[in-house]
Amino acid sequence: MMNMSSIEVHSLSKSYNSILAVDGIDLNVKSGQVFGFLGPNGAGKSTLIKLLTTLIQPNNGKISILGINAIKQPLSVRKKIGVVLQQPSYEPTLTVEKSLEKYGMMWNVDKKIRKKRMEELLASFELTTIRKKRNEDLSIGQRRRVQVAREFMHDMDLLFLDEPTVGLDPSARRKLLDFLKNKVKETGLTIFYTTHVLTEAEYLCDNIAIINNGKIITVNSPNELKRTFGKEKTIKIHVTSTIEELKKLLQEIPDCDIEQDGGIIITIHSTNSEIVLMNVLKILNQNNISIEDLSAVPTNLEEIFLKVVSDSNASNN
Amino acid sequence: MHPIIRLVNRNITISINPGFLLWQVIFPLIYIFVAGFAYTSLIDNVSFGNKSLTYPAFLASGMIGFNIMNSTLVSGIIIWNDRRHGMFEQIMSGPFTRSHYIISNIVTIAIVGLISAGLITAVGYPVFFESVEFTLITIPLIIFCSIIGAILFGSIASIISTRIRSSEGFNVIINTAFLFFAFVSTAFYPASGAPQPLATIFYLNPLTYLVDIIRAGIFGTITEFVILEMAVLVILASILFIIATKLLTKLDF
Repeated sequence: MMNMSSIEVHSLSKSYNSILAVDGIDLNVKSGQVFGFLGPNGAGKSTLIKLLTTLIQPNNGKISILGINAIKQPLSVRKKIGVVLQQPSYEPTLTVEKSLEKYGMMWNVDKKIRKKRMEELLASFELTTIRKKRNEDLSIGQRRRVQVAREFMHDMDLLFLDEPTVGLDPSARRKLLDFLKNKVKETGLTIFYTTHVLTEAEYLCDNIAIINNGKIITVNSPNELKRTFGKEKTIKIHVTSTIEELKKLLQEIPDCDIEQDGGIIITIHSTNSEIVLMNVLKILNQNNISIEDLSAVPTNLEEIFLKVVSDSNASNN
Repeated sequence: MHPIIRLVNRNITISINPGFLLWQVIFPLIYIFVAGFAYTSLIDNVSFGNKSLTYPAFLASGMIGFNIMNSTLVSGIIIWNDRRHGMFEQIMSGPFTRSHYIISNIVTIAIVGLISAGLITAVGYPVFFESVEFTLITIPLIIFCSIIGAILFGSIASIISTRIRSSEGFNVIINTAFLFFAFVSTAFYPASGAPQPLATIFYLNPLTYLVDIIRAGIFGTITEFVILEMAVLVILASILFIIATKLLTKLDF
């Protein structure tokens, strides 16, 4: 199962009028993993999800979902996948429990199984107390929980989640992530997950792709991304005083990018941070400037994301 | 269970509520028993084919067609709500095709139309029972009208719902269109009493044809003209259904 591919995409392109939303993407998502898909607004994430879920057709390229040609057999694909789209979807007049029950019916789930699953999901997503409430009377977060819970009423091999935690409070968000982790562990489900919350991706995803301007810039595990793009360290030094020529002296240090904020905060970005730090300390010492505080900022996915996207934008320009 | 049946089940659950059912019965009842008897002093017996009908009997039979048309509002409301609340996209990402979706809407309104026609027939029966001439084709004609009316007016409602995004726009256009169909037709009053230009416009309105066929079925006055009206309705319903299907198929996500 783990070696099989749930999603295989080759040279996939989609344009709207003259705008190229997805630009020749190649992608391979192995089964049984949570695959994170990150990108700034308008990068092409939702368009790619719509292509993979067969909601729209590509201009070029090939899509294979669970071994099925998604362009030629879209219905066969849709029977095996689950989709939670970015925008809310609900039937306003139905109650929470009726929404789950009817959704299971729409997926042809046996009545007894529907009832059992409904009770389990109401408990797992903490919807029991609002089970008799109509969807139109729910808060945005509650409605989102119903929308995600509803998708688990039916069996599937692959689940697409497009920013599922939007509108959820931190506690509900963490519970949802844990629920998803357990599902993958218990059932071998593959999840294709887009988010803007990078800590979520770091917590949940086995692999992460970063997309910008319709192109995939990099695909790797969170740890590997950190190793590859996180060589650059950031060190912050608070000094008690400064002198006029300090900025000039610091700029002469090679292999680094040094910023001086208000004269008393020195920020060093460097892939050779130890050597650079020694040189900075030497200059400070020679000029009798004492240090109040020194801290190294650990590399996180957010910085990597920002760096990768900004490098990509720079190379495009 | 077939996908269309599953969608019909879902459509009926979300669209049938006590308020809607009450409106579907109370509104025609008011017309039949209040307007019907109140206007009797103004509108004398109405000739239909070779028969002379009392006005309440004429009105009650017209209300069956009117109610079939009204039931099709359900279709427009389902499509419009599904688009507004994200369910259209959600359903289309599930185990359904657009054909399933379109056909399920038509089946839903045909069922609602049939039940509605049955209810009004039962409710209106006391006022037209003296003139009723049940024949072998009475029931099939009413069923034909429910189905063809569902397709025809359902397609019109679907076309409007695919073109209009705002709730105000949707309500204004759909109510104006259906008000025109209702009151510029022979559902409420006979064409013979209307000024000639209006009487001509009556026969540009499919509801006039629908109520003519229903009356022909109930009062046993099937003529060649009624058969022609049936043919016109079938052709018109087919054209509108094709347009509605094309528009729904082209709906973008």
